[in-house]
Amino acid sequence: MSVPLLKAVRDAQRYGFAVGKVRVLQTRIFGAGTYERLLDAPTFSEQMRVVSDTIYGRYLEDAKSADDVEDGLERALDDFYRFLDDANLPDAVVRFFRVRYDYANVRAILKARALGVSTEGMVVGLGTVSTEVVTGPVAGLPPFLGDIVWALTPVAGESWVGAEAIDATVEAALFADLVHTAHASKSSTLRELAALTVDVANARSAVRAHRRGVPAGVLAGMLHGGGAIKVADIEAAYELPFDEFIEVLAASRALKGVTADELAADGGLDVVLDNLVARFVRRVRVVPFGPEPVIAYVMAREAEVVAVRTLLIGRLAGLDREALRRRLRDLSV
Amino acid sequence: MKEFMWGLSGVDWALMGAGSAAILGGIGSAIGITIASATVSGILSEDGTKFGKLLPIAAMPGTQGIYGFIAAVLVIVFFNLLGGNVDIAGPVGFKIFLACQPVAWLCLVSAIYQGMTGSSAAGIVAADQPAPALIFPALVETYAVLSLIVTILMLLSLQTAYMK
Repeated sequence: MSVPLLKAVRDAQRYGFAVGKVRVLQTRIFGAGTYERLLDAPTFSEQMRVVSDTIYGRYLEDAKSADDVEDGLERALDDFYRFLDDANLPDAVVRFFRVRYDYANVRAILKARALGVSTEGMVVGLGTVSTEVVTGPVAGLPPFLGDIVWALTPVAGESWVGAEAIDATVEAALFADLVHTAHASKSSTLRELAALTVDVANARSAVRAHRRGVPAGVLAGMLHGGGAIKVADIEAAYELPFDEFIEVLAASRALKGVTADELAADGGLDVVLDNLVARFVRRVRVVPFGPEPVIAYVMAREAEVVAVRTLLIGRLAGLDREALRRRLRDLSV
Repeated sequence: MKEFMWGLSGVDWALMGAGSAAILGGIGSAIGITIASATVSGILSEDGTKFGKLLPIAAMPGTQGIYGFIAAVLVIVFFNLLGGNVDIAGPVGFKIFLACQPVAWLCLVSAIYQGMTGSSAAGIVAADQPAPALIFPALVETYAVLSLIVTILMLLSLQTAYMK
């Protein structure tokens, strides 16, 4: 038996049950028809009628306001993540998807404390650490979060650091954690996804920084390791004029499929880079064995929740059909 | 009984051939069924109504174990291993051993691949598509059947040549 065959056997046994569940569950993911009906629904209550026939029906049955929608979709997302536990997937795979909420919670709490406002309603219960622990005393936090809080909390007499410094520190810790967790999962797909996430973040930071004329020394602090594009290569290219810098970035293998014109276009950068991740999901969805179909399913559900939130809250905010359609297209669902 | 290679007699070689066919075919089937069953179980945990369509897909890799078993029984019957006082020359026993190898190895590998194919094909059932999902794992079966035919033909020729 060749080594690839042994790996296929191991993956099939390890992830087979979860893949089977996903094969059924992915048939319930929204298709274009459902999105069209949500777009065509003239009012929020009409939209809720469409939603009531879907998996989101039980989470949103009493939703009347944007807050209700947020709460319902958070519960839906929590159940999707709980599926990862039920499907008996390795801890590292589950952690990979949930841990970003821990960092988002810590970021929200630190910013609230820096501004001297209440943290109530600012944390979500989707992370690996419960909201009670996250909002509790720093000593009770697990080290990966506690270290960030200790590092950013001012000692007596000092003032709080700015919001940008909080963002930068939390983001650096998050990306390092994602890369480490992906490696611990022993899944090449998660490793690839972690690297792509870092590359997308680095490309976004570097393009924006270059456009604003940020000095190279400052950019160095904004880049993260663990991506397929080496930080040193980005820093070297950053010294070039904007057009040449964009050409070098677009030519990298990690950003394959993105043209220099798309990267340079003012305003469309987020969409272009998010499409890279969407393309990755489409590619791994068709892999028959291993964690790929499960990862693709969870990411598709995450994108679906964002799309549903956009459509429902957008309608509540009075956006018309065309405005909602434009936003939906930008989400690459 | 004439000794042949590492001191093994013809009967020893014949028994090793029969045993390898039964063991490797059985191992392949066990792994193949485990692979297909994992996916099938996942599907059934979400939609129990598909049991009837999925059972043949999970069970199909089990046939390779049966082919190995058939080859082993044929060795025992053709060369009268149950008859006691059997006298098979060492080189003949070695040829019997070789004749068992196609079904042994091909059933080991094809059962595993059939389990994987069945696991993928189960997705067709999960998606409620009208296509006959059973066809694809059945295609893999072809080669296990061919290996059994080859082994049977080789055993028959050896029986004709060496057994009175």
